[in-house]
Amino acid sequence: MKILLVEDNERVSQFVIKGLQEAGHTTDHASNGRDGMFLAASEPYDVIIMDRMLPGDIDGLAIVEVLRKTGKRTPILILSALSEVDDRIRGLRSGGDDYLAKPFAFGELLARLDALHRRAHGVDKERPLTVGDLHMDPLTRKVTRGDRHISLQPREFKLLEYLMRHAGQVVTRTMLLENVWDYHFDPQTNVVDVHISKLRQKIDAEFERPLLRTVRNAGYSVTADD
Amino acid sequence: MMRSSALSLALGYVALGIIALILFAAPLWYAWQVTIAESRQENLQMDAQRLSDVYRRDGADGLKSYMDTRVGMQIVGERILLLTDAAGRPLAGNLAAWPPKLPLAPGNYDTEIDLAGRGNQSALVHVASIGSYHLLVGRDNLLFKPLQTRFWYGLSAAIAVLSIAGVLIGLITRQALLSRVDSIRRTVSAIIHGDLQHRLPTQVNDDELNTLSRTINGMLDQIELLVHGVRNVSNSIAHDLRTPLAELRSRLEELSLIRPSPEETYAEIDGAVADVDRVIRIFDALLRLAEIDAGMRRSGFVSLDASDLAASAVEFYEPAAELKDIELRYSAAGPVLVSGDPVLLAQALGNLIDNALKYAPKKGLIQVAVRRLEDGSAEVSVCDNGPGISDAEKGKVVQRFYRGDASRGTPGVGLGLSLVQAVAKLHGSSLELQDEAPGLRVVLVIPADANAGIATRVVPSAEPTPVKIAPATLAPSP
Repeated sequence: MKILLVEDNERVSQFVIKGLQEAGHTTDHASNGRDGMFLAASEPYDVIIMDRMLPGDIDGLAIVEVLRKTGKRTPILILSALSEVDDRIRGLRSGGDDYLAKPFAFGELLARLDALHRRAHGVDKERPLTVGDLHMDPLTRKVTRGDRHISLQPREFKLLEYLMRHAGQVVTRTMLLENVWDYHFDPQTNVVDVHISKLRQKIDAEFERPLLRTVRNAGYSVTADD
Repeated sequence: MMRSSALSLALGYVALGIIALILFAAPLWYAWQVTIAESRQENLQMDAQRLSDVYRRDGADGLKSYMDTRVGMQIVGERILLLTDAAGRPLAGNLAAWPPKLPLAPGNYDTEIDLAGRGNQSALVHVASIGSYHLLVGRDNLLFKPLQTRFWYGLSAAIAVLSIAGVLIGLITRQALLSRVDSIRRTVSAIIHGDLQHRLPTQVNDDELNTLSRTINGMLDQIELLVHGVRNVSNSIAHDLRTPLAELRSRLEELSLIRPSPEETYAEIDGAVADVDRVIRIFDALLRLAEIDAGMRRSGFVSLDASDLAASAVEFYEPAAELKDIELRYSAAGPVLVSGDPVLLAQALGNLIDNALKYAPKKGLIQVAVRRLEDGSAEVSVCDNGPGISDAEKGKVVQRFYRGDASRGTPGVGLGLSLVQAVAKLHGSSLELQDEAPGLRVVLVIPADANAGIATRVVPSAEPTPVKIAPATLAPSP
């Protein structure tokens, strides 16, 4: 992916750029709103990471708004040290596609960027999903693995659907909380893990190849690859 | 003298009073003057007429002797009489000469006349021609002077009394106001200097200043509460963030000193990241608490179904309960529409169930119930059969960072219940901790959605009600 990072903090920038490089992405960096605006408007990027608070007279949200008004549809992830829910809503309302509060784990950032990128390439909500021998038909809500039918609770279905839509990517616990349960808080205990292990019982337990994998220090991933 | 609203108000009223007085006196004065002048002129004309009658009857000599008799009889100054020949030489009367400024033509005049050496006196005169003679009949104005003087004195006295009384009342009111305003000012400046415990003095009556003082006192109560909260939070931060930070520091320092094998180093770094995450989590929880305390999230209130909210929370925690071999039971009597912040209520409910999961014993039971109270509000209760909370601890568990005796060794930062309490307060209700013997029942009341048409109840005031301690019907749980 070609990514634009608009962030004024030198350390955070270096950390993010290095991490993205290691993950195989090319990153352009702008350390102020003016440069960020210029790059975002002139270069084609797959995803833009935008810090909310920037030095100078242009603030991150303003750039997002201008980009959206000029018809740029590039997915934008807003980074902010303000984590309150209202702030998140304001960020998304201005045209951002996702919102991540500082400080963040790099894994979380990477997972969200992947998700954004994929989402931008259009998701057919009705198209059946397939990972290895696991199939899901969102229309009939039928899930099968191999030739065996798997019966899921509605919430388990939603969880698996989200994981399968992001097959091959890492999905963090926070992403699951937000997208599957619409919970915007940290439930402290490892409830998500318990849900995952229940789901794993149903889709993986009796099969040789596990599809739902735990990614250490990051989250989960559904993948057929090794 | 400093500008005073009371004084300027009083002065304004004085000015108004004086204007009113003048508006009253001026027409009166005018009418009086006109009427009197007219009647006096009439009298003079009648006099002149009478004298010309005498002239016609008795001739010039008769008139002269008549006038002499009249002059001899009258009191000096009251009446002025003069008969002159055509050239203006006096023939009879009590004037030595024709007044210099007075023309010889007939008519009415107001002029000055030197009467019997008493100096010039203002007088009203009527001049008539009788044959070839000139007759002057006049009356001095001396008689009316005292009356006029009295009128003006009276008016001036009224204005003076009005002014003095006005200024005095103004000063007194100003003094009274000033002393009360000053006491308010002193209190407020004491507060500005940091002593938030001061309150404005109030009396029992309901005058404007008292009402204002009471309102300000209410505001001060709220401010004190908030400041207290902030102070609490910063104390808590200082106290409780130090622990994980100290752990983190020693971990890193040890790493730098010992320089263990790469595997161990990585494990330690992971541990350090986990430490930092813990610090961040505490920070987030504190920030959210502060945000709720400040009442900032009231804008996020929407109409929502409390049963739905509880059902999804129960569903969310179900697998975790199963894992711990705890039965999580949910009961609700249909939807209950309430007005609230969905994110915060979900978090509060989550915290309550999470808490219950922590303390319920193996094979325990947690019951989550939603019921509609008579006023339409929703009562959400989470009840476990764990060790419960002793009465002594009830007040403390909602304090930030407080961790009960039973919680030693369980994960958590000790902010759970205080967040629930803050959420309850934001929703204008309270958090009740009840003994379930054994166990704890936590009750959260969410006010009805006023727009739903079910409720008529007034949302309870946002007064802080820390914990309602239910009477211990049974011995406190162990």
